Amino acid sequence: MANEVFMPKLSSTMETGTLLQWFKEEGDSVETGEPLFEIMTDKINIEVEAYDDGVLLKKYYDIDDEIPVNQIIAYVGQQDEVVPDTSPGISGNEINEEKELNESAVEETSVRIEEQSKVEPSEDVRATPAARRVARSNNILLNEISGSGPKGRVHVKDVNQVLIQRNDSRATPLAKKVSKAHQVSLESINGSGVNGKVMKNDVAKSIDRVSRVDPSIQTSQKRKLSGMRKVIADRMQESVNTAPHVTLTSEIDMKKVQELRKNLMKVVESHTGNRLSYTDIIIKATGEALSRHPAMNASLNDDEIVLNNSINVGLAVSLDEGLIVPVIQDVPSKGLREINDHAKRLAKNARNQKLQEDQLKGATFTVSNLGMYAVDAFTPIINLPQTAILGTGRIQEKPVVVDQEIEVRPTMAVSLSFDHRAIDGAPAAAFLTELKQILENPYELLA
Amino acid sequence: MRELTYLEAVREAMSQEMRENNDVFLLGEDIGVYGGAFGVTRGMIEEFGPERIRNTPISESAITGGAVGAALTGMRPILELQFSDFITIAMDQLTNQAAKLRYMYGGKGSVPMVLRTPAGSGTGAAAQHSQSLEAWVAHIPGLKVVQPSTAYDAKGLLKAAIDDDNPVIFYEHKLLYKTKCEVPEEPYTIPIGKADIKRSGGDVTIVATAIMVHRALEAAEKLVKEGIEVEVIDPRTLVPLDEETIVESVKKTGRVVVVHEAVKRGGYGGEIASMIAESEAFDFLDSPIKRLGGLPVPIPYNPKLEKATVPQVDDIVEAVKETIRFK
Repeated sequence: MANEVFMPKLSSTMETGTLLQWFKEEGDSVETGEPLFEIMTDKINIEVEAYDDGVLLKKYYDIDDEIPVNQIIAYVGQQDEVVPDTSPGISGNEINEEKELNESAVEETSVRIEEQSKVEPSEDVRATPAARRVARSNNILLNEISGSGPKGRVHVKDVNQVLIQRNDSRATPLAKKVSKAHQVSLESINGSGVNGKVMKNDVAKSIDRVSRVDPSIQTSQKRKLSGMRKVIADRMQESVNTAPHVTLTSEIDMKKVQELRKNLMKVVESHTGNRLSYTDIIIKATGEALSRHPAMNASLNDDEIVLNNSINVGLAVSLDEGLIVPVIQDVPSKGLREINDHAKRLAKNARNQKLQEDQLKGATFTVSNLGMYAVDAFTPIINLPQTAILGTGRIQEKPVVVDQEIEVRPTMAVSLSFDHRAIDGAPAAAFLTELKQILENPYELLA
Repeated sequence: MRELTYLEAVREAMSQEMRENNDVFLLGEDIGVYGGAFGVTRGMIEEFGPERIRNTPISESAITGGAVGAALTGMRPILELQFSDFITIAMDQLTNQAAKLRYMYGGKGSVPMVLRTPAGSGTGAAAQHSQSLEAWVAHIPGLKVVQPSTAYDAKGLLKAAIDDDNPVIFYEHKLLYKTKCEVPEEPYTIPIGKADIKRSGGDVTIVATAIMVHRALEAAEKLVKEGIEVEVIDPRTLVPLDEETIVESVKKTGRVVVVHEAVKRGGYGGEIASMIAESEAFDFLDSPIKRLGGLPVPIPYNPKLEKATVPQVDDIVEAVKETIRFK
C-alpha cells in the first residue's frame, strides 16, 4: 500500500503549515531521507524528508497552500499504485475506517446505506426547481443551504450566495489577499490547485493579463514573507507590541575618538589586518558604559528582570535578505584590537551566512550603526529580551561652542531606545551621558 | 397609420374576406339591419345583402348546426352568437359534429367555419351574459380557440380563422370592442398558434388572455416604478397554444403569473401552468407558478361585486410581487 506523506506537527502550537516548495514531482522516485518538500510554520522554514522509498505518486497541494497538521499531502509508493484523486484528509482516519469495516461485514452494508442516504439528502430540502438546477450544476448539496423562502425554501438567490462564498473559499488565503489588494474577482479566475483551488500565482497571472490590457495598472513585485524576513517581521512586531519604547538622543563630540582612531589605526591594522572602525570604538565605549550602569545590561524574561553578569554586545549587520545580529562576548575584557578582530570576522561570516549558532546567542545589548548613511538620529527597536539598544548616526562636521568659541567639530548623534517596563528615563539618561563622556574622552578607556 | 376599434377591425376582416370570397357568409341573431347585439355587423347587410348576412331564429343549436352543414358542403360560414354564454346550447353541434366530422370522415369532409362570440364581464350584464367559458371548447379536440386582445390581432386572426379549414371558436371581449389601435387597411394574417410578447421584461412572466392582457400591461407599468420588469405574453390562441414562447420566457424569468378572467377552477390557466411545469422551464422556476382567475361564483349584477369577482390591475400587481418576494 502507498505510504501517506502528511503535514508534520513540528511544535505543540502548530496547527497549519504553508507549503513553500516541492523538491519532487509526481512520478519522481524518492529515497528515504531525501528532502520532499519545504514548509513554513509560524516559527521556522523546514525541509521535510521522505520516510519511505518509492515513487511520489500524487501531490495534493501546491505552493502557498496552508495545510492543517496531519493532513495527507502526498503518497509515496510503488509505480502504478492507485491513490485517491483528492486528499483523503487527516492521516490515520483511513486506518480506523478499515478496522471498522473488517470488524463486521454486516455493519459495512449498513454504513454504506447510511452513506448513500447522506449523499442525496437534497430530496428532503424545500427548494425551487431553479435552485435545485443551479445547485446541481455546481455540485452543491441543498441541505447545506439555508433557504430564505417560506418554511426555509431554498431559492436561486440562496444558492448563489453559497456559490459566492464557495468561490471565496476556493482560493488560498494568500490568493484572496492578493486578489483583494488588486481588486480582482476570484470568480473569474481558474484555479490551478487541487479541485480548482485558486492559488496566488493564478491571481498574479490574471493580474498580469489585466495589466497587459490596461497599461495604467502596474504590477508591483511581490515576495513571500518567509524565512529570515518572516522572523524579523515577527520579532519586530512582538517587540513593538510588548515593549513600551522610549528613545533618547544625544549629540557626541567625536574629535577625540577621531584622534584615537588615527593613532591606533596602524597598530590595530598590523595585528588584525583590518582598519579600526568607529564602530569598534563605540562598541568598546558601550561595553565600558554598560559595566558602570548594570541596569542597562538587563534582560526582561516574563516577570523577571535579569541583570546580566557578562556584557555581550550584539552588532546589527545588514544583509541583502535582512538583518542579523552577531554577538561580541564580554566586551569590557576585550581591547580594541580584539573587538576589531571579532567584529570584522562576525560581519564577514554574517554576510557569507557562515555564522555559528553560538555567535548569534547571548547578546545583552545591541548597537545598530547607520553612520555610513546620511542618518543622524533614529528610533531603533529593541531586540527582546534585551532592554535597550543604541543607534548611532553619521559623524558630521558641525559648528559647536567650545569655551565660548565656535569650533568645527565632528559630531555624532546617538539614539538610545529602552524598554520602559525594565528601565526608567533617569537611569537610561545617566547611561547615555556616561557613554557621551567616555566617547568625548576616550582615553578613559585605557584607564 | 389609421386607428380602428376592435369592433371595426372584426367587421373589416369579415367584409374584406367576403368581397374576395363568395363562399363566406354570416349567420346569427339580429345581425342584419340591427347589426348584431354589439353592432359588429352594422352596415354589412347593406353591402352584402340578406343572402350573405343571414338573420336566424333564436336557437344557437340551429345556427351552429346550420353552419356545420354549410361548411361541410363547401361554404365558409361565420356565425355569431350574441353572448358566449349561449354557446352551451350550441355545445352538441360543436362538440359532437363540428369538432368530429373531419376525423370521422377520414379527412374527406371538413368544417371550415368560424364561431364568433363576445365573452367576459364588466358590462353589467349579470350572471347569464358575462361568463368566460373558453375552457369548455378548448377541451374539445378538433376545435381551435382564438382570443384576440387588440384590434390589430383581431383582424389578422379573424382572417386566419376564416381561411382555416377547421372549426374555429373566435372569442371577442365586450369591453375590448371600443379599444383602439393601429390596424393596416389591407388584409393580413396572424397565424393561429403564435403568441405575442406584448411587453418584454426579465423579472416575471405574465401570461394573460383577452382583457387581462391590458390589465397586465397596466400592472407592468405600475411595477416598473418599483424596479420590477414584467414580461407580458398574450397567447392569442388557446388551441393550439404557443408553448415555446411561454416556456422560453419562463426560462428567462423563472417566475410566472397566469391570469385570465374565466373562473380559476378548471380554467385554461391550469392548462398553461401545467404545461410550464411539464416543460423544460420547470428547472428554471424559482417561485411557485401563480394563477389568477375569476372567483367561483356567478358574475353578480352589482357593478362593484362584478368587478370584485374577476382579476383587476391591483390583483395582478400583488400576484407579481408575491412571486418575486424571494428573488
